[in-house]
Amino acid sequence: MSSRAAWPRISIGRFFVFAFLAFAVCFYGIPLLWLFIAGTRSEGSLFSDPPFTIGTWDVFVRTWTNLTTYNNFQIGTWAINSLIYSVGGVALSLIASIPAGYVLALSEFPGRKLILVVTLIAMITPSTAVVLPIFLEMNLLGLNNTYAGLVLATGFFPFGVYLAYIYFSSALPKGVMDSARVDGCNRFQLFTRIALPLARPIVALVAFFSFLANWSNYFLAFVLLSDDKLYNLPVGLTALVSGSGALSNLPANDVPIKKPEVILAAVLVVLPVFLVFIVAQRFVRSGMLSGAEKG
Amino acid sequence: MSYLFMLPYLVLLFMFGVFPVLYAFGLSFFDTIDMVFWGLTNYEFAFNDFRVPKSAVNVLTFVSLWVSLTVLGVAVLSLMLDSLGRRSATTLRTIFFLPGAVTSSAIVVLWLFVLDPSVSPFQSIFHLVGWDTRQNVISGLSFAGVFAIMAYFSASGGWIVVFGGALSSLPTEVMEAARIDGANRFQLATRIKLPMIWRSVVLMAILSFAAGLQLFVEPQLMSLAGQQFSQVDWSLNQLAFQYAFKMGDFGASAALSTLLVGTSIAIALIIIFATKFYTID
Repeated sequence: MSSRAAWPRISIGRFFVFAFLAFAVCFYGIPLLWLFIAGTRSEGSLFSDPPFTIGTWDVFVRTWTNLTTYNNFQIGTWAINSLIYSVGGVALSLIASIPAGYVLALSEFPGRKLILVVTLIAMITPSTAVVLPIFLEMNLLGLNNTYAGLVLATGFFPFGVYLAYIYFSSALPKGVMDSARVDGCNRFQLFTRIALPLARPIVALVAFFSFLANWSNYFLAFVLLSDDKLYNLPVGLTALVSGSGALSNLPANDVPIKKPEVILAAVLVVLPVFLVFIVAQRFVRSGMLSGAEKG
Repeated sequence: MSYLFMLPYLVLLFMFGVFPVLYAFGLSFFDTIDMVFWGLTNYEFAFNDFRVPKSAVNVLTFVSLWVSLTVLGVAVLSLMLDSLGRRSATTLRTIFFLPGAVTSSAIVVLWLFVLDPSVSPFQSIFHLVGWDTRQNVISGLSFAGVFAIMAYFSASGGWIVVFGGALSSLPTEVMEAARIDGANRFQLATRIKLPMIWRSVVLMAILSFAAGLQLFVEPQLMSLAGQQFSQVDWSLNQLAFQYAFKMGDFGASAALSTLLVGTSIAIALIIIFATKFYTID
């Protein structure tokens, strides 16, 4: 077979592969690229200039000022709230899930299997399925519209328990644990001095997934919080849009929140996760695989 | 001692896993306005609400679109990436993964821009098809299609990363043997690699199906584009929300929520006990 005969046959298949991949790159990449560029453009430029025109620094500063000063620096409040909910939720989920995963992996006790099964059910059940039941419960407990309510609810993170359980059952060298026990470590010391230092990757991984879930939490926050001073950024973003009508292409009003301001607010919601993704990328990849298929 | 380590988690598990589900289940048998037991009346109410079958059809349409899109898109892209060189595959995988940062309300806000031909980066394509307004685009794609695209955009990249790892850990001897036997890249992908990752594809489909049934955010936020796009009772979860928040009928809301949670739990039990995806030795 001459190389001339082989050439076109390979190229058709490869051409198809490259064309499809190019299409995918456009589908995934273009909206994201557009989002980050569009925040620098003026309302007029969004409508009349080509989609990827880069705006000016002055426009960006004006948009930024409009957005941040609107309603007495409301978006700042929401950003701080988001930070409180996320840090609180991540901290609580770590405190609860790391020791739980450790015990489930290394000890035998009555009820262990039941706890594992319930944990798996809770993990596979989409969190959105229990939002309304949690709202009904919070209503009973009087925890609606409180920081504590949302932090407590998001501190429950069964996926973290499962990740820790898998990690401790496979990655912790049994010999190390045994020799530490022989050396006189009690069970508490065994956890704090031996297991925890070795578990740094899993702590980081659980923190990462817990942060993702918390930072972008919309449905639960939307249902539990009706006081706009308590909103997080994802809920605040929608309040901003519906309050200004910036996305509805209706005749202009005098609210300073227009399309560029909304785009910038959306960037604020996305950017922290985006940065965490880029920084944590390599270890997420290895972690997602060591844990489970759920991402 | 073991229980002491478990205590914080057990408290949270009870408060936000077990109790809400049982509480909603109990509440679903009560007239929550006067707090009297009235059996299955809430369920009857929900079944007789004409919006319930309509939303069920909406949700099922969305789920079938989204799950097929996910299975096809993720499997095809993962296999294609696996046939590329390591460096270019990693770069592309990152590009597919990054939209995962756009979640919840930000997805909807972003896509309401992207689907608006007057500002969209895809405007030339929309104009080519003859869609000149957002109304055209959305009715052209249908609501279910729009929600499926939004969900796929954000959720598929993570799966492509997972499958990238799964594919690269397949035994090289098998690949080598197949190549020596004369399999080309396409045959290698469809006859060797695909069957080896098929179980994970099935798991992805089931998990996406379960998640899709609970659809809420995307239809709920369509009203951001203006009153004419508002879809307050498009999905079942939205209806449960409407019952509680617009009608103040917590009993009916609990009944519908119980049905939705029950479906999810049933799916979870099937995954746990009928397959061996998760280890619980």
